[in-house]
Amino acid sequence: MTFFTVVFRGLIRRPVRTGLTLLGISIGIGAVVTLVGMSRGYEKSIGKQLDVIGIDVVVSNMSGGLMPKVFDDTLQAKIAQVPLVKETTSVLMLMLSIEDAPMMMVSGREWGGFTWEKLKLLEGRLPNDDKEFAVVLGKLAAEVLKKRVGDTVQIEADELPVVGIVDGNAVVENGAIILSLSVLQEISSNQGKVNFVDIRVPTGTSEAEIAKLCTDVNVIFPEGKAKPASEVVGTSQGFRVARAMSWSTSLLAIIVGVLGVMNTMLMTVFERTHEIGILLAVGWKRRRILLMVLCESALLGLLGGITGVGLGVLGLKLLELTPTIRGMLEPDMSPQLLLTSIGIAIVVGIISGLYPGWRSSRLSPSLALNL
Amino acid sequence: MAPTPNTNSQSGLVYEARGLKKHYEGGNVAALRGVDFDIHEGEFVAVVGPSGCGKSTLLQMLGSLDRPSAGTLTYRGRSIAGLADPAEYRSTEIGFIFQAFHLLPTFNVSENVQIPMFEAKLSRKEREARANELLDSVGLGHRLNHFPSELSGGERQRVAIARSLANQPTVLLADEPTGNLDSENAAQVVELLLKLHRDFGMTLVLVTHDLNIAALATRTIRMKDGRVVDASTPLPPTAS
Repeated sequence: MTFFTVVFRGLIRRPVRTGLTLLGISIGIGAVVTLVGMSRGYEKSIGKQLDVIGIDVVVSNMSGGLMPKVFDDTLQAKIAQVPLVKETTSVLMLMLSIEDAPMMMVSGREWGGFTWEKLKLLEGRLPNDDKEFAVVLGKLAAEVLKKRVGDTVQIEADELPVVGIVDGNAVVENGAIILSLSVLQEISSNQGKVNFVDIRVPTGTSEAEIAKLCTDVNVIFPEGKAKPASEVVGTSQGFRVARAMSWSTSLLAIIVGVLGVMNTMLMTVFERTHEIGILLAVGWKRRRILLMVLCESALLGLLGGITGVGLGVLGLKLLELTPTIRGMLEPDMSPQLLLTSIGIAIVVGIISGLYPGWRSSRLSPSLALNL
Repeated sequence: MAPTPNTNSQSGLVYEARGLKKHYEGGNVAALRGVDFDIHEGEFVAVVGPSGCGKSTLLQMLGSLDRPSAGTLTYRGRSIAGLADPAEYRSTEIGFIFQAFHLLPTFNVSENVQIPMFEAKLSRKEREARANELLDSVGLGHRLNHFPSELSGGERQRVAIARSLANQPTVLLADEPTGNLDSENAAQVVELLLKLHRDFGMTLVLVTHDLNIAALATRTIRMKDGRVVDASTPLPPTAS
């Protein structure tokens, strides 16, 4: 028998109560994994999209919401004059409800711009020119909308034929409906408007030079902001809000978990007052009693964390299949997030055990024995 | 594993109590009203007296399970109330045997005996070996994996005795160890305690109602109403 045996026996003496507490922690940790996994997945997916297309700097007006405000497409010509700008292209990106799908990314791209370059045709063709009223679908978008080449897609009031299915090498690209910028401007009544200007710089440009380029762009576009692609996700307000919401909801789940474990541990300690009296009487030190209670609650946290991560991953997998999420993001299920969640669960366990442990270690052995 | 024979002098002072008092409920109930006695190395002292006379309270003081309200109580010259680490004292110096056995129901017999050994620096194997040896010496070598609920009262008390010897103490404190046992089992338990006292020179302080058991002691402390009325003489054996 080891000390761990004593800790483990403490937990299994009331299997139903331990099981219910574990379920409580699991749900809390499951919520953390799901919410944070979604918000981080969204950030990662956008980051990957920028990387795949080869965008170095993004110019937009991200003052509110997940999608930036529109501005005049004449800005692109001015930006092209800024030193070190090698290539520019404009994009109008809208989040629209398309047929049965509640939210889809519709991406109007400047004809001939580099944002078309990396799209690999799986089926059909690309639009013939910037005037053709036609769309290509990312392969996930095609699955979600259940469309094939030759079908039509209704965007706002217009029915547009699907002329091709593409693989964009990033979830966000694959979940998008892609069409010519001028066509999207027309059907969404955004003539002359865009909400992104993407910039490429020459190979070998240093970070400092990119930072200087951003400063120069900000002078000519004071209401918006130019950001290096690596910073777009980290600093945009929309992502910050999503991150804050996912963590604050997670925090609530964690607090509920702490209260649940503390309640269980307190009940355990009350119930075992007599037993703790025996342990004190046979010479156990008070700090060993404290350690026993803390180890029990930490073990509850660890087990709850493991099952919670399982639940969270299951939740993410299920969400990934829903039309709302599919193609919008690839949930983050990185080992780092999963291990952090288990770590949180253990800390929850330890915090919850502090008061019950302290209380039990302060018991008077003679009083405890007489109970 | 049997305890190591005690080679200390018979006259060494183990416990010394002077004016020992204990009050409960804010001082309204007096369990001990000024008790004086000495207990020497290797003595078998029986503490007798009617219910409520303070016998068990006295034993709890000796075991540092409770603190005196007034007076002094020393163990080998050190104040028990002033011990920096009472757990260390309970773990290494004394073994406690209770009327109600106080075994842990979710641990088997061998594990119950190992419980006090966590405070000693022993490996898992050493703990198991020592527990099993102790249980063997109390005649329960065949019951190692049984749980307390599967044992008779006498067997449970023998497990408790083995547990009290876990860390090789020199003093055994027994609170009515035969109080919950039939006469046959009581006799076995008493024989075991006597053996520990005789063969290994352990100091034994035993609280009892049973005057036959008290008569086996080298000395008797008789108590009444929280006071010691006689602490000097052995009791004569009774007719029963």
